Amino acid sequence: MSTHPVTEENPFVILASGPAPNPEGLLRRESSLVPKIPLQDGEQYRFHFDMSKCIGCKCCEVACAEQNNNPPDISWRRVGEMEGGVYPNTQRLYLSMGCNHCVEPSCMTGCPTEAYSKDAATGIVLHDANMCIGCEYCIWNCPYNVPVFNEERGVVGKCDMCHGRLAEGDKPACVNACPSEAIQIEIVNIEQWKKVYRESANAPGLPSADDTISTTRVTLPGGLPLDARKADYHRVKPEKPHFSLVAMTVLTQLAVGGFVAAWLLSLLSESRTPDVAGTAALIVGLLSFGISPLHLGRPAFAFRAVRNWKRSWLSREIVSLTGFGASATAYAVLLWLEIPAVNVVGAMATALGLCGITATSFLYLVPGRPAWRTPYTVVEFVLTGAVLGPLFIAVLGVTTPLLPVIVAAAAIGQLLNQVWKFVALTRSEEFEKQASARLLSREFALLVLLRLLLVVAGGVVLPLVDWMIAGFVLALAGELLGRYLFFVSVVPKNMALTFFEQAEAA
Amino acid sequence: MKLSRLLGFDILGEKYAYGHDPEIGYTAAEKIPDKWVPTTCGYCSVGCGMYVGVKDGRAVSVRGNDDHPVNRGKLCPKGLAEHHTLDTDARARDPLLRRGGRLERVGWGEALDEMVSRFRGVQQKYGPRALGVVGTGQLVTEEFYALGKLVQLGFGTNNYDGNTTLCMASAVSGYKGSFGSDGPPGAYDDLEQADVVFLIGANIADNHPILCYRLEQNPRTKLIVADPRVSKTARLADLYLPLKPRSDLALLNGIAHILIHAGLIDRDYIDAHTTGFAELETHLEKYTPERVAAVTGLSEELIYRTALLYGRAKAPFIGWTMGVNHSTKGAETVNAICNLALLTGTIGRPGASPFSITGQCNAMGTRETGFTSGLPGYRKFDDAADREDLARLWNVSPDELPTERGLAYPDIVEACLKGDIKALWVIATNPIVSFPNVDVLRQAFENLDFLVVQDGYHPTPTTEIADLVLPAAIWGEKEGTYTNSERRVSKVNKAVDPPGEAKSDFDIFLAGAEKRGVRERLYPGWSGPKDAFEEWRRVSKGRLCDYSGLSYELLEQRHGVQWPFTEEDAARLNGEPPATSRLYADGQFQAENGKAKLWAVEWEPFSEQPNDSFPFILNTGRTVEHWHTRTKTKEVKILERLAPTAWLEMNPRDARRLSLQPHDRVRVVSPRSHVDDLELRITEIVAPGQVFMPFHYVERNSNVLTQSAFDPLSREPNYKQCAVRVERATLGR
Repeated sequence: MSTHPVTEENPFVILASGPAPNPEGLLRRESSLVPKIPLQDGEQYRFHFDMSKCIGCKCCEVACAEQNNNPPDISWRRVGEMEGGVYPNTQRLYLSMGCNHCVEPSCMTGCPTEAYSKDAATGIVLHDANMCIGCEYCIWNCPYNVPVFNEERGVVGKCDMCHGRLAEGDKPACVNACPSEAIQIEIVNIEQWKKVYRESANAPGLPSADDTISTTRVTLPGGLPLDARKADYHRVKPEKPHFSLVAMTVLTQLAVGGFVAAWLLSLLSESRTPDVAGTAALIVGLLSFGISPLHLGRPAFAFRAVRNWKRSWLSREIVSLTGFGASATAYAVLLWLEIPAVNVVGAMATALGLCGITATSFLYLVPGRPAWRTPYTVVEFVLTGAVLGPLFIAVLGVTTPLLPVIVAAAAIGQLLNQVWKFVALTRSEEFEKQASARLLSREFALLVLLRLLLVVAGGVVLPLVDWMIAGFVLALAGELLGRYLFFVSVVPKNMALTFFEQAEAA
Repeated sequence: MKLSRLLGFDILGEKYAYGHDPEIGYTAAEKIPDKWVPTTCGYCSVGCGMYVGVKDGRAVSVRGNDDHPVNRGKLCPKGLAEHHTLDTDARARDPLLRRGGRLERVGWGEALDEMVSRFRGVQQKYGPRALGVVGTGQLVTEEFYALGKLVQLGFGTNNYDGNTTLCMASAVSGYKGSFGSDGPPGAYDDLEQADVVFLIGANIADNHPILCYRLEQNPRTKLIVADPRVSKTARLADLYLPLKPRSDLALLNGIAHILIHAGLIDRDYIDAHTTGFAELETHLEKYTPERVAAVTGLSEELIYRTALLYGRAKAPFIGWTMGVNHSTKGAETVNAICNLALLTGTIGRPGASPFSITGQCNAMGTRETGFTSGLPGYRKFDDAADREDLARLWNVSPDELPTERGLAYPDIVEACLKGDIKALWVIATNPIVSFPNVDVLRQAFENLDFLVVQDGYHPTPTTEIADLVLPAAIWGEKEGTYTNSERRVSKVNKAVDPPGEAKSDFDIFLAGAEKRGVRERLYPGWSGPKDAFEEWRRVSKGRLCDYSGLSYELLEQRHGVQWPFTEEDAARLNGEPPATSRLYADGQFQAENGKAKLWAVEWEPFSEQPNDSFPFILNTGRTVEHWHTRTKTKEVKILERLAPTAWLEMNPRDARRLSLQPHDRVRVVSPRSHVDDLELRITEIVAPGQVFMPFHYVERNSNVLTQSAFDPLSREPNYKQCAVRVERATLGR
């Protein structure tokens, strides 16, 4: 508990000092915009943003770019705009946000390299560019879309509350620049804040604070209309397609599916054909997994991505898929050497492969991407393996009468999964999910239809008439197209932006 | 891209390193300068004090001056990135002369020879007044002073005006009419002292953000904002008046009517210090609240509340900008504003002021010294005593001084069109973007024998059509002074060298005078801006804008001082900061009898009313990110990103009727021309029947739509209202 006086107005906020009276015509007002007292145990710094004062001048945004020498297209602080009411009772609101230095920062939890830390002394969420490999996973994780990828560096960056300035007793650049004194640094007691944050951390134009417990306190103007809406509400743009991830996820799922199917068939058969097919699937998996670091900003440091296996699904994906690759390779080698007890190794590879698919799908269940954060993602990824894996080994000549039926069942499952997902998105009350549905049903409508046709033709019709090669080609095209749509149609959670802007797609 | 970057070994650690600057503390290492040069911001007339950080001869950063009485360390987003305006590829580097249709590099000697001989040729053939000069509000006062002498005495033409006529001429004419002289009476301190602040046609949140900062320091005040558009400033208001376009004059008369009827006027003051009350009282009888409500679209209750708030205030402040000035009734509307201040007898009290918030950084400097709409020192062309006074100070014959104002800017354009002006010298302005109904101006310029454009940037839409381009130093590259809206004179200093062969405008004027053979007569013994300043101190002595007590040293030391500032004021200082200065606190005005004039001015509807073919009223204005014709701010990448393109605001009710969706591309058509491919913003910021677009963007220029309609008194254009229709774009995506 803090020993500082607690005011009635803000039971949980301790302001360092009130505005100092200035007899000399207010020539240099004593700053009360940053705390002048040290933090106690259980406290951290946070931003206070006063929406009633902000005039939308964007001084903070320019000052931030200058402070951090960021290129003009990178904003660690952004000013967004909202509008409500009916002329002349129009309400224009502005939102200036940097990082919210959350109590439970999802950027940090997700980061595979532990580049993020929550500073023990100040509670500031820090990002270490030297440790970062530029996987951009933090951007997906952050519900406020705060971290920004810097193309010229190959790493992300974000607001660090100018901790270097605070340490010297100076105001952060945004606080210093704001002509309305709308931005302030305060001290918050974390335990008290956890009880009451919903009232003060939520505001129009901001995603819910529930995901990560944002520490930013927002003061709203009085007479706020209920219909205040982001000025960029109607501007929904597709996200980056991430082609290397499209290929990597689909092909590793194919590989696991193919290996598992081949291994199961080898248990029932004396022939070595399944083993050949399984090995082929493994090679596809190893190749596709091998190219995945290419999407990183710093591929040479991809190995760091296993550091955070305790918390990050991305680390876990890498650990389990590497394990799958290693054990499946061992299985293949042992098999060729005709050494017994290979089934234990095969079972291990199967288990690790399934873990890998699960981890891959779980890593997309991020707070910042609501359309991904559904069970449909897990089902989709598993069924991709279930459709493509058996078809792949069938192409290589391994089949049983049951195989086309399994493939057809999986493909029908995939079809229904897609349809259900679309209906769920459409019916959702969340803006981002609706907007994803909007993208799928407008910009991408033709591709969605094609994707569904391909899964039916390649996964159901052709296998049942035993046209395995054609079936495989069409089904693979369908799954790749589906994964492309998965990436481009997701609408990130974001803070309100201006009428013009869209945050950098990630 | 380098392999070490592609693989991730190089993350540009040096570029993104931090360091410690003794002045600003922890910051990006590349932004830490070798030295900080004090100066004054070169954008708007708020006149913020700042420092430019210079490293290895390049401007790398800026910071607000904490000790400056105007901004106390704050800057707007343009000011915060101002160093980026200096070092860009778009700067003019060499004199360029058109030969065989192409602009070719020439030396300064050849360029100025060509200019002087071509001017002489035209003047010999068509008469001295066949030369016109269009200046700016962007130069330093010393340059305006030098230029005025050069044009009027050296080149012998009085067809000299500036783009300030597109900006605050109505304020000048209005002040002259009401108080007998130009010169805003108040101070920014009034924003902090006023108990009522009434802003009319002034969107300070977008255009003068630092004044919002000053207003923010005053929690006691009631803010009233009158604007047809719910501007960023309107949303700050305690009382917002969404009046119909150009009904401001009716509203002001209506307020005066209520003040008189409610007995909220100061009869003693009126009797002692004004003339014209009886006529005004009779005139205002017809401005009943009912009628004013019908004209303005405001409820009677709102009009009463406004009038009573204003009338009962101890220190009411009225500020205005282009909503008032950009009008064919601009000067008279300013008179109606001044009427309110005079009727209540509050003028000169701390907090109370009819305050013209000016546009450009040194529009005030050209008003004081400029020799365009008046003689230097607010002297009058038609006053023989003023002319004799000036002739004596300059040691010239009074016959050399013109007895009347030459053509104003729009009339210069008209004269070019008619062939009366054959050579034109355009200085630090970009009329191809900023002049209304710009196609007419284009034709006018095509008619010229010789067009000289002197600018810091090339190409601009105007330098591109010039016969001779003179490259000029800009803010940050030269020395002098600016006067801001509150009459505060601040020092401007050179931080870096101009690019290439560019010279300061001051040096160009002196070199031009040399070529013309008038340098010693006009500028005896001058070598730098300080010589001009010293002469100007003597010339302004005893005038309302008295500089005689000012010196460069004092301005540096005090970070700006308001005029009038006499030698006695300087002697009294005794180490203390100068007190805030307000004009007319003693009730003595600049008119002959010392009395201010109350004007009976009549509201009229604007001329181009919407009709079936052009059903919308187009309003034009600014956005905080950009400055005027975007010559400078287009070069500042972060500002360009924040406001990359022009847009059109339309009310949802109109959009529904036209079946338009948000972000649709539209085409705006006026009776004159059209703008295509504008991004549509459907918003309740504008009223049904009105649309708004910003005027900064040459690519989608609002001024191909606006009218050739000018205030008969001030000659200021009517930018704010014209009739248009909106269609789906034919170009674009």
